[in-house]
Amino acid sequence: MTAGPYGSLLDAVRGVRWPAARRVGGATLGAHPSRLRGNSSEFSEFRPYRQGDDPRRVDWRLLARSDRAYVRLTTDRATLRTAVIVDASASMAFPLHDLAKWVRAKEIAVALAAVAHAEADPVGLTIAADAAVTLTPRARRSVIVEMIRALDATAPAGAPALAPHLSAARAPRVVVVTDLLGDVDELMAAAKLRIAAGGEVIVVHLVATEELDPPPDALLAVDPETAGMRRTLDGAARDEYRRAFSAWMEATAAAFRSARVRYFRAETSEPAAHVVRRVAGEVGARGR
Amino acid sequence: VTFLAPWALAIGGLAAAGAVLLHLVARQRPAAYLFPTTRFIPDRRTLVSRVATRPRDLLLLALRVLLLLSAAAAFARPVLAPAHDARARVILLDRSRAVASPAQAIAQARSLLADGVPTRLIAFDSAAGVALDARAALDSLAADSSRASAAIGSISGALVAARRAAPRFASAADSVELVLLSPVSAEELDAATDTLRARWPGRIDLVRVPGRVDSAQAWSLDRALDVDDPLTPALRRARVAATPTAVRVRRTAPSRADSAFARAGGTLVLWDTVGMVPRPAALAMGDDVLVAAMGRGAAPGGRTLARWSDGAPAASEQPLGAGCVRHVAVGVPLAGDLPLRPTFQRIARGLVAPCGQEGSLAPADTAALARLAGVGAQATGRSLAADQRSPSPLVPWLLGLALACAIVELLVRARMAPERA
Repeated sequence: MTAGPYGSLLDAVRGVRWPAARRVGGATLGAHPSRLRGNSSEFSEFRPYRQGDDPRRVDWRLLARSDRAYVRLTTDRATLRTAVIVDASASMAFPLHDLAKWVRAKEIAVALAAVAHAEADPVGLTIAADAAVTLTPRARRSVIVEMIRALDATAPAGAPALAPHLSAARAPRVVVVTDLLGDVDELMAAAKLRIAAGGEVIVVHLVATEELDPPPDALLAVDPETAGMRRTLDGAARDEYRRAFSAWMEATAAAFRSARVRYFRAETSEPAAHVVRRVAGEVGARGR
Repeated sequence: VTFLAPWALAIGGLAAAGAVLLHLVARQRPAAYLFPTTRFIPDRRTLVSRVATRPRDLLLLALRVLLLLSAAAAFARPVLAPAHDARARVILLDRSRAVASPAQAIAQARSLLADGVPTRLIAFDSAAGVALDARAALDSLAADSSRASAAIGSISGALVAARRAAPRFASAADSVELVLLSPVSAEELDAATDTLRARWPGRIDLVRVPGRVDSAQAWSLDRALDVDDPLTPALRRARVAATPTAVRVRRTAPSRADSAFARAGGTLVLWDTVGMVPRPAALAMGDDVLVAAMGRGAAPGGRTLARWSDGAPAASEQPLGAGCVRHVAVGVPLAGDLPLRPTFQRIARGLVAPCGQEGSLAPADTAALARLAGVGAQATGRSLAADQRSPSPLVPWLLGLALACAIVELLVRARMAPERA
């Protein structure tokens, strides 16, 4: 199976690097700076020998020249397991005519996974749906295709929770692609716990253009996830809606950022490749 | 098609108009729109409905209007009206013994058929039979008219037969004419006649045919009674002829000659009431009941003709040779108005009737005839057909159509729900 309609997207993100935010643990050789130092060939610095250091790491030629014992330090590089959690709740199936939010969420998830996979990082996927789908992080070549297949086989529905999937993710770097219209408080709490444990949480907040600027005609808005919630959106209510929605988005972004969650807001009108570059680029800049 | 409850149609029409109006009013109601961020819209009830020039959801509207109209039509009780005639006629033809000339009665009935009005014939004596083809029935009766009927006629039975038969043809006519061809003798009326007559919702045309009592007396006294005999007023119309088949009334003990008279075919009435003391008593004979001060005696065994109120026989008849002997134990006081009472006179005439003819062939009194004829217009077909409670065959179909519309409307609404709600 090929990447299909995702081909052009994967071409657009080819070459994008997505460094880890901080040195990573693990011994598997990868692209991210490791917290371990020692055996690689990439020289970093000398350090005076201390009792307990491995004598094999003593630079004997420097000892001969300076009559002091120095240890040769090198920089190790390791892989970073990455998990992508995609919100497949009913609110992602919007607008009905083209499902732009769900399509963009799938593209962002696939593109981010492809970028991580290109750096030899194991990538996994969790689709938070009523019947959740989980692919554990792997580095094999077919993993992206498997992710595409799983995403294309899913139709957003129901009101599944994201927080349990975030807590259960078996990767130090977790990306959550969601519209944050579900269990946002629980998600925030789970993200704080994961960050406190040394993990990295990235939230891509997807907002549909129609949500920012509703259709001009008066309409009876019906919440797809909350039964019985129906409200009339007309000229008078539209301004209040815009204000309330903007205030909520700002408050949510501030709350995530204060919790050291990397928060990115993306509109459905923004190409997925651009969103991916923003996510990878910003993280890369901070990491350096 | 006519409707028995047209007001239901009016209500259905109003309901259908209301449905159309609601669809017009709802024209500008905002369309339902799945919107994930609905929670940020202020929760206010805003009415933006306006009357539009064209209704929305035409399929739903059509289904709802059809549902309402079909249900209303079903509740309006539609009936399929057959071809209608202005008039129909029912002829009650008397075939009882009271009719002096059955052939003449049949001829009169036949003359009524000449105008071409749809006619049913009910020939009756003690029983009534309905004939759908009046001409054929009259032909059949005419062929049999030579044999005189001995049965007592029952106008009540004829009225019951007419009322039962009426709904079958009354719905096809605006008015129904009921013609009674009968001498209407007293014996043909009974206690139920007035009640049954009231069930016919119109007047009855009485065509009196000659009765046997109207023609030369069928019987006669063999000798005149004394002038001061209290029975004289009751039997004043009886002829006097000393024929072997006449009636002999003996107010004293019978003689050998009286027995010979009875054996020869005469009717010997022994009405010896000497020594009876008048006391209040009740006497019943047929439909006539007389309460007055009378002398009470006991009639011997035999066929009982009249009884006292406690069931004891007051008059009885015993056959003797070709005739009979009739014992009457009713004392008639010499003073008082008892002999002048019509009830007593009817009873007296019955008691002195020839053997086997204790019934009174005398014509019914004027009041009874007036009650029987009634006043006003002919019965209308609708009033006679109103008792028909058979449901119209259209009703289940209309209700089924309404049910089908309701189901389809539900399905259509459910299919529209995802995009509207």
